[in-house]
Amino acid sequence: MSALDTFKALQSSEFGRFIGGQDHLFCAGLELAHIVGMILLLASIALVSLRLFGVGLRQQSVLALSKATSGFIRTGLALLAGSGLLIFIPAATSYYPNDFFWYKAILLAAALAVHLTAYRWITHSENPSPWAARATGSLSLGLWLSVAFAGRFIGFFS
Amino acid sequence: MTLFEFAQTLYDSEFGTSLRESELAFPIIEGLHLIGLALSVGLIFFVDLRLLGRFLPEVSVDRILQPLRPWLFAGFAVTLATGVLLFIATAVKVVVLPVFFYKLGFIVLAGLNAAWFEYRWGRRIDTWSDSAVLPGGIKAAGWASLTLWSLVVITGRLIPYLSYQ
Repeated sequence: MSALDTFKALQSSEFGRFIGGQDHLFCAGLELAHIVGMILLLASIALVSLRLFGVGLRQQSVLALSKATSGFIRTGLALLAGSGLLIFIPAATSYYPNDFFWYKAILLAAALAVHLTAYRWITHSENPSPWAARATGSLSLGLWLSVAFAGRFIGFFS
Repeated sequence: MTLFEFAQTLYDSEFGTSLRESELAFPIIEGLHLIGLALSVGLIFFVDLRLLGRFLPEVSVDRILQPLRPWLFAGFAVTLATGVLLFIATAVKVVVLPVFFYKLGFIVLAGLNAAWFEYRWGRRIDTWSDSAVLPGGIKAAGWASLTLWSLVVITGRLIPYLSYQ
């Protein structure tokens, strides 16, 4: 089954049509949940990334900061994924030809990959080299900001 | 000159028109506004959560507020500058929306809350910031900040929702 077939099946499924039939207020609620999730995620990543650069809350250890923010990151990701899927499914086929939708998908995959590998490793290392810390911080923050940017662009280039 | 005439002048200006019609500039400004907001409001939320004892409760407030202040202000500068540009580009559509004025009102209230916090508690932060249980007034300021900035985000998101379509 091609991606387009999958998108068509999602959109025309009973669930897709049910969500698509909800009113404007429901859509606005989803958009807001998406923004709240984004604020939680980006602010947490920014806090840890600044610390990896040796600025911001530098009196705290990287480990302490990553532990204190991990709950916010999880909540943020859950809100983003849940609201994102509910926004996507009822209009799946309209996203298919949008370049920025696919850029966002690729950037998101890359950001998640970095988060589960380099980010996890560096925030749990006892004494990471400053070079590795900076590289991970800029990669993580850069990728997540790019995901947000690509997401904002989707609506402007349909 | 009425507010609407002022908005019309901005909207019709060469700068406003070129911003609005630019295929790239407008989405980029929107994107920067969003990222500036995530950083400024997001970092404020962490300070608020500390005031409420929900984030790094074992660290003194002083050691969270002081190092984050320049980053908060940088985030707000980006959000404010891009917000002004967005206003210039869409002024006539925005000034007819009550929700836009609610947003401005909530920003003013959030600013007053922050100013009051600085005046009442910030000047003698070293006398209380180490205590595990903070005075009630400080918690109230934290709740007010969380609520008001959330309302700013909510009303802000409703602006394009109610006007662009």
